Amino acid sequence: MVTPIQVTVQELNLPLLVPMLIAIAGGLGILVIDLLKSNLDKSLYVMLSMIVLFADMLAVAGLTPNRGFFDLMLVDGVSIVSQMLIIVASMLFIPLALTSKRFHEFSYPEFFALFLFMVAGFQFMVSTDNLILIFVGIETASLALYTLIAMHNRSNSFEAALKYFTMGALAAGFYAMGSAVVYAVTGSIELWQVKEALSISSGADSTIIAVTGGAVLLLVAFAFKLSLFPFHTWAPDVYEGASAPLAGYMSIVPKVAAFAVALRIFNIYIDLGVESVRIIILVLAVVTMTLANIMALVQEDVKRMLAYSSISHAGFVMAALALGTTKGNAGVFIYYALFMFTNLGAFTMLWISRHKKLMYSGRYDHPYEKFAGLIKIMPIGAVVMALFMLSLAGVPPFSVFWGKLFIMSAAVDAGYIKLAIIMGLNSGIAAYYYLKLIVYMFLKEPVFNVDTIYYNISKPLMVIIGIAVVATVTSVFFFDVLLTYIYTMISASGF
Amino acid sequence: MENLVYIALFAPLVSSLFAGLFAMSPRKTFVGVVSSLLLFISFISSAVLGYHIATTGANVHVTMMDWISVADLHIPFGFIADHVSVTMMVVVSLVSTIVHIYSIGYMDHDKSFNRFFSYLSAFVFSMLVLVMSDNFAGLFIGWEGVGVCSWLLIGFWYHKPDVSREENPSISPSWAANEAFIMNRIADLGMLVGLFIIFWSTGSLQYDVVFSQIPNLAPAVLTAAAMALFIGAMGKSAQFPLHTWLTDAMEGPTPVSALIHAATMVTAGVFLVIRANPIFSVTPEVSYFIAALGTFVAFFAASMALVNRDLKRIIAFSTLSQLGYMFAAAGLGAYWIALFHLAAHAFFKALLFLGAGNVMHAMHGELDIFKMGGLKKQMRWTYAYMGLASLALAGIPPLAGFFSKDAIIETAFNEGTLILWAMLVITAGMTAFYSFRQVFLTFLGDERYKEFGIHPHEMYGFVLIAMSPLAILAVIAGFFRDWFNSFIIHLLPNYEMSENTHHLALILGAIVLVVAVSGIILAYKKYAKGLKRSEKTENGLIYKLLINQYYIPKIYEALITKPYAEISKLMWTKVDMRIVDATVDGIAKFIYKSGDGSRKMQTGNLSNYLNWMAGGALALLFIAVASSVIG
Repeated sequence: MVTPIQVTVQELNLPLLVPMLIAIAGGLGILVIDLLKSNLDKSLYVMLSMIVLFADMLAVAGLTPNRGFFDLMLVDGVSIVSQMLIIVASMLFIPLALTSKRFHEFSYPEFFALFLFMVAGFQFMVSTDNLILIFVGIETASLALYTLIAMHNRSNSFEAALKYFTMGALAAGFYAMGSAVVYAVTGSIELWQVKEALSISSGADSTIIAVTGGAVLLLVAFAFKLSLFPFHTWAPDVYEGASAPLAGYMSIVPKVAAFAVALRIFNIYIDLGVESVRIIILVLAVVTMTLANIMALVQEDVKRMLAYSSISHAGFVMAALALGTTKGNAGVFIYYALFMFTNLGAFTMLWISRHKKLMYSGRYDHPYEKFAGLIKIMPIGAVVMALFMLSLAGVPPFSVFWGKLFIMSAAVDAGYIKLAIIMGLNSGIAAYYYLKLIVYMFLKEPVFNVDTIYYNISKPLMVIIGIAVVATVTSVFFFDVLLTYIYTMISASGF
Repeated sequence: MENLVYIALFAPLVSSLFAGLFAMSPRKTFVGVVSSLLLFISFISSAVLGYHIATTGANVHVTMMDWISVADLHIPFGFIADHVSVTMMVVVSLVSTIVHIYSIGYMDHDKSFNRFFSYLSAFVFSMLVLVMSDNFAGLFIGWEGVGVCSWLLIGFWYHKPDVSREENPSISPSWAANEAFIMNRIADLGMLVGLFIIFWSTGSLQYDVVFSQIPNLAPAVLTAAAMALFIGAMGKSAQFPLHTWLTDAMEGPTPVSALIHAATMVTAGVFLVIRANPIFSVTPEVSYFIAALGTFVAFFAASMALVNRDLKRIIAFSTLSQLGYMFAAAGLGAYWIALFHLAAHAFFKALLFLGAGNVMHAMHGELDIFKMGGLKKQMRWTYAYMGLASLALAGIPPLAGFFSKDAIIETAFNEGTLILWAMLVITAGMTAFYSFRQVFLTFLGDERYKEFGIHPHEMYGFVLIAMSPLAILAVIAGFFRDWFNSFIIHLLPNYEMSENTHHLALILGAIVLVVAVSGIILAYKKYAKGLKRSEKTENGLIYKLLINQYYIPKIYEALITKPYAEISKLMWTKVDMRIVDATVDGIAKFIYKSGDGSRKMQTGNLSNYLNWMAGGALALLFIAVASSVIG
């Protein structure tokens, strides 16, 4: 006998849905405009998307932590912080469509509509503790993202999209299986109820295997999303196939969203003292940051190098998650908030140097040789790129340094001295491949066909790079404010 | 009054930055004019401050901001204008202003004219930080600042190539600049150690706090601090054995030699001893060592000046010698006399150097006095100025040098250190001789320059006028001795001659005077009629010893520079390349190789990737189970 559910509108707490609804409505609006009048200039869609994202951001800023919508939605500090990061990164991404040369995908309004749907998907993902809604969010965002990659309209873009899609399907399978095991053990798919159930049954030997098994399955799914070793294999290929800005975007936004969810899920196990989960997270983190670093060393292409470096950074952040302390959890978001500007800036610099049709060399689009002697061709560009590289390498006082410092101090505070040392060593190795690019840019002679390279630049791109530079350089001044904000938000959510 | 402190201090900085704006552009006269004006403003402010302090007796103390505040270490950026620092401020800003104006004329053909003013003003700023700071840390910053500016200015003509030591004893400007800088680094280490000792034992670097704590400190600590500080002073003031850089520093443009290497920076060591007199006056052994070393250097440097042929080097040796005098006075406890000689010396020595600059300018860079002679005709004013300055330097009454130097020699007698006294008297005679040897060889006698096709000409009128304040001060500064005494004893301990010395003062003065005058007469007899070289003397042992500076530069080269270079080379080829580099390269190669190995998993084949995922999941499960079983 099913009793009808009685809820008042007040209980639904619809304002929690407003941010996502804005994004979805914006995407639909763009499609409608296209129906009414086709072949409008891309700048209109860029501006519309910016307006939608801005409205979305205001809506997020207006949220107060609460539950709602049949208890499916959970808006807390983690949700607000990660939504903010997602939207800010999206706003930095969208203007990159305004290159001086025309690229295929941006001439389709569908691109912008899909992009906004994807943002909404990510927002759903981080604003719930219901395993099914998380799944829906992940898939909404991922399907949109696969299409966006493929729209770059090159053979390796299709290949990338297909690989990502196939592996994503496998990961979704792992996620579904993991959720099923969790449901079997605890009888719930609401994470707060899962936690309660687990804390009652914890200690019972019969369930520990099932609990761990469920956690492992879920972890595989998230390790795929976060591109942790050995589930990272898609990342270099996909980054290479996608356009540079989208690759930069992928190294940040999906990971922020995935980290927010991973924090919700795995914090339960760590809080309850299921050491095996902590250990596998640590192993994954250490192996990822080390191996990705080592593989980044031998790359001949800057974009692939940046792909591996993003993997390594993700491993670095994953380690913070294993600490189980508020400082570590806050470190995840602080790191991405700082990393975001620098990494997007670096990928944008690649975007500037992208030729419309010509591949630079037979195999790669952005080999190191392409940047040889950049200081003589584009002095400011070379300095800016060097700045981003130094920041990524964790050289003070640039932004990523503060993130690294914070996470390493969190590791030390939590008693993981060895982990902090491994992190330090990895940063040392990483410096090699970042500095390698600087050496190419500053110390080598330019190659001959320079005039065909650096021409994709435009005012909007310069503005975005300018913002990234300012954020990277002045991080020393706003780090404290950022830290206080994120830390209070995270600790208020109980993590 | 506070604002005046800031104006006096920062006007040179503004000047430096302003000139720096034009560093890359071609010569612009207004850069020099603006710089000189700003320096003049600094001088006026210093003079007004000096008047204020003299009339009211109150110090002006400002704290600009908190500079370092870590745990127990609090160092504010504070500046003080008291009796000692205001004396230094007036001397520094006055000489600097004149040298700036002089440089407009002297550097007029140099294409780096604007850059020169930027450096020169930066130097003045650093020097003022040094003298005005109210704590040892600020003093040290200024100390290093003047060191850097000195390096920049000695090496101003860095483009000149290195030549052999026989051709040019200082090899090249850049070599000389590096030598000066490195020598000073050695001494600065001593200075730093001194500061550490002071901070460690008193917990502060503020002068007033440190000095008030002296009675509580162990004598050993004080001795150590005094010794370490004096090592710092030895470097900056070029005392033996760290003296070789000063003569080589003459490679810099002459205004630099006048300002930095005669009147101001090199006296910083003396200033330090005077400033820290509460420490030195309770460490009699160190003080006596300072006096003895000062006397030795006075004698030692004067002896080398006797035979040198290079116009500027002679004056450099004389600077060394006079610094020796100052240290002798300070070491014997007559701090105010040392400071008085410092100020008087700044005036007449700057004048002497600027005169030498005129000669050099006229002779198109030629400095060998054996190639000069008879310049009196063309350069009447310069002759008058240099003659006057030399008289002052020789200590002929009533010029400034007489009053200040005589007081030092009298102090040595008064202290009963008769050996020091005798050496200082003999040095006074040598000083008179070499000063006038130089003047006579340059301006009198046969016109030897004609052989070399040089057409000398007098310096610009405005330059000569600009030099006149120095000339006037070289004449009259001595009369202010008693006034200065009453002014300065507000801060420095007074030093009075004993009854006995007082009675003998006239006789003592007469002895010095007779020695000095006979030095001049000797020089006149030998050189006024022209140059007569004697093979016999020039091949003699003593002459050879002196002209080669006692072979000290060569000894340093053989005993320190060359072995050091050898060891460095050995460390490089054997230790660095074989061990350090090999280890580092080995690690890098290993990591690189493992990267090459692990990239093989990136096949691009989707099936492989899916296998990796499945394998990874199994591995994770295995680790999880294993750890929960073990754990």
